Amino acid sequence: MDAFVELSAELTGFSAEELTSTGLVEQYRALADGASEAEIIQLWYTGVWRGVIPTERAYAEGLAWKAIGVSPPGSAAPGFGSWEQRPRRSAR
Amino acid sequence: MRAVVVGAGFAGSLVAKVLGDNGFRVLVLEAGAEPNEDAVSRFRTALVKSPLKPYRRTAAAPSSDYLINTGPYAYSSPYLRMNGGTGTAWTGITPRMRPDDFHAADVGRGRNWPWGYDVLEPYYRAAEWEIGIAADADEQRQHLPVADGYRYPMHALPRTYLDHAVASVVDGALVDGHELLVVGTPQARNGIPVPGYRLDGQRCAGFASCVPICPENAKYTPHRTQKQWSATVELRTRCVVNRVHADESGRVTKVSYQRYEDDTSGRHTRHSEEADVVVLAAHAIENAKLLLMSRLANSSDQVGRNLMDHPALLTWALMPQAVGPFRGPGSTTGIEAFRGGPDRARRAPFRIEIGNWGWGWAAGSPDSDTAEFVAAGLRGQALREAVGDRVSRQFALQFEIEQEADPENRVTLAADLDPLGNPRPSIHYGLSDYVKDGLLAAKRASDGIFELLGADDHTSYKPDEERYFEHDGEPLRYWGAGHSGGTHVMGTSPRDSVVDQWQRCWDHPNLYAVGCGSMPSLGTSNPSLTMAALALRTAEHLVSRAR
Repeated sequence: MDAFVELSAELTGFSAEELTSTGLVEQYRALADGASEAEIIQLWYTGVWRGVIPTERAYAEGLAWKAIGVSPPGSAAPGFGSWEQRPRRSAR
Repeated sequence: MRAVVVGAGFAGSLVAKVLGDNGFRVLVLEAGAEPNEDAVSRFRTALVKSPLKPYRRTAAAPSSDYLINTGPYAYSSPYLRMNGGTGTAWTGITPRMRPDDFHAADVGRGRNWPWGYDVLEPYYRAAEWEIGIAADADEQRQHLPVADGYRYPMHALPRTYLDHAVASVVDGALVDGHELLVVGTPQARNGIPVPGYRLDGQRCAGFASCVPICPENAKYTPHRTQKQWSATVELRTRCVVNRVHADESGRVTKVSYQRYEDDTSGRHTRHSEEADVVVLAAHAIENAKLLLMSRLANSSDQVGRNLMDHPALLTWALMPQAVGPFRGPGSTTGIEAFRGGPDRARRAPFRIEIGNWGWGWAAGSPDSDTAEFVAAGLRGQALREAVGDRVSRQFALQFEIEQEADPENRVTLAADLDPLGNPRPSIHYGLSDYVKDGLLAAKRASDGIFELLGADDHTSYKPDEERYFEHDGEPLRYWGAGHSGGTHVMGTSPRDSVVDQWQRCWDHPNLYAVGCGSMPSLGTSNPSLTMAALALRTAEHLVSRAR
């Protein structure tokens, strides 16, 4: 496993497979060269890199939302009335 | 008849439709540009997802961020100058006002309407069908008179899991002497239609971003009404009306406007348009600005005065169990028990929204929670679990406090000019003790509700935060609700009001100022539905006068 993914998994609590499935590993690897732990976590969890959300995907794949088990606002349509159902906790 | 409508937002689009359907030639002059097509994308990549963020802005027609605050408190309610207006970014929550809201002065607070709820009730029904409202009449009758046999055009939307969790505990309980009941909130978004109503657009699929943007157009916006305009209605965007002209008798003859092409500069050309009737529908603050610039309609000295909003109080807490926030519309139910009654004589009444979107508005969740846990040293699985546990249990209460009409809260023309050379609006705004007592009572109600729910209260208001203040030794804070009103107030006499019961300027027989600016009181209801009902009533009056 490559070092960036390994470090990211250790910091975020999400598996290498979960991180890879976001499609953001290559983009984040390039951005996060030399970044602090806190910056790497913020990037993965919220899609924010030094005050900017670089792409729509960075927002939509934010791990904070996956930890809650919902899609970020404005990114997915779970269906009419879906909000009435018992919440699904983490996607783990 | 040739009508000019100034503003293609909520009220202007409805008035133009009715006039166009009844043989008027209508020119709608909209200050803003056409909406941008990348609004959803802009929303997703906006760091702070505030209401105006996704939308196109122009230098020539600035939105509310060009207001200049001069009073003791900041007026912080946004509005959008773009085709469709603030009705593009709105929440889509559409409660009616209650009967006692029309008689605020009877308890010594603010102003009375020229008539009561009964006069507006048929227009509420018409507006609900025109806009497309999802609600259940029997449920609304629990706190409001709704005509016998009436059906809203769509069934009430399903409640959220959170709504059920709250209702199962608080229904029937007492807080500050009020019996609580969770009631579904009427919604301007597509659900399941009743026979006779045809859906326009998709059914709400739960994007959970209604403010500021509904990606599937399940939420009503004025663009939906504009699609129904007859061929006799012409829209010109990027046209900023900067003067209404009247002859010596007071009759309005024409409007002058500035047309621009470039989004980033004040470069423009000058034009004018003659009209038999002019309808100002540019937003409460913009209507007042235009009347003041034109030196019209102000024999009462009330133009720009009586500026109101709903100062909103937010409180936030954790439920004992996961409730699944950030799902569905922003608020699907409320607690209506504090909206009226004898209490309103001594403190401002308020409506309580149960907020479905966690602490997003109140505290910037989940980004803020993540930052907090990371700063505390959490990493890996512990971080993931902490964020999941914290945010999954979040909910908020949003209190809309009534603000009474006060002539000292007002819009005037600043010396500063915008890029077109027009004065920027200057806002002098304050909160009375009546409002502050209402905010304090709201906080106490919040305490009581959180206690009933066994919720862990995380509300805090800090002196270094915007719009913080103390009242009776208690820290408080208010947020702007985006509900500007009162600036061309309606009344029964030209001596102390700007428009008559038809929203016609007392001083000018063919000049109308429509919208929330006409409202003598806002009650505790999100005002767009009432604005729509008033617009339909005025449009009907214009049609009958032309015959």
